[in-house]
Amino acid sequence: MSETQVTSTLDTTGKCCPMPMVETNKAIKALAIGDVLEIIATDVGTRKDIPSWCERMGQSLLSMTEEGGVLRYHVRKNR
Amino acid sequence: MKSMAIVVRDDSYDKILTPLAFAYLTASEGTQVDMLFVNWAVKALTAEGAAALRIDGRHAAEEAMVREGVAKAGLPPEVYDIIKALKGTGCVNFYACSLAGAIFGVNEGNLIPEAEGIVGAAWFLNEKAAKADHYQYF
Repeated sequence: MSETQVTSTLDTTGKCCPMPMVETNKAIKALAIGDVLEIIATDVGTRKDIPSWCERMGQSLLSMTEEGGVLRYHVRKNR
Repeated sequence: MKSMAIVVRDDSYDKILTPLAFAYLTASEGTQVDMLFVNWAVKALTAEGAAALRIDGRHAAEEAMVREGVAKAGLPPEVYDIIKALKGTGCVNFYACSLAGAIFGVNEGNLIPEAEGIVGAAWFLNEKAAKADHYQYF
């Protein structure tokens, strides 16, 4: 299985709602279609926020991992 | 959700954070947010009033902790700076209720430039709240 090629990383460590989602929205706008955004978060609210945001905004959540309290999401920009 | 209308009544520092955070969240997705500030909250649409917002009542002694938490969360700790950030999304309109303005001393002379203006509640309720996809009251 090949590793995801990350285009850009957004580190929201320590920040809480609404900032991880506000910054994710800004970051995704700056990318091109097909690019992959890696989002690092410690706000547990993102466990539900980011998957539902991906579905609502038409983006693909490629992976979601959690290790040592750090959540890592890979999102491919589709639109 | 394409549009959201919010009426803000509570003016204490902690209680005004939630409607501002919800507005920021939805505006960042491109949702049009219209906010009407009524009662004492109308003063948040003046520079002096926004700076004077404090935590009331039994939580008053915890204000420093709350402001520190707000900064850690990534939001500007000053309400006026949050308002400016919301305005910067290009999706949030701030309105002052005309009745509240008359009672609590907000007029076109002291209204912050980020606000659209002073409006009647009938206009806001019919043209913004009733037509919005979602409506909230704080």
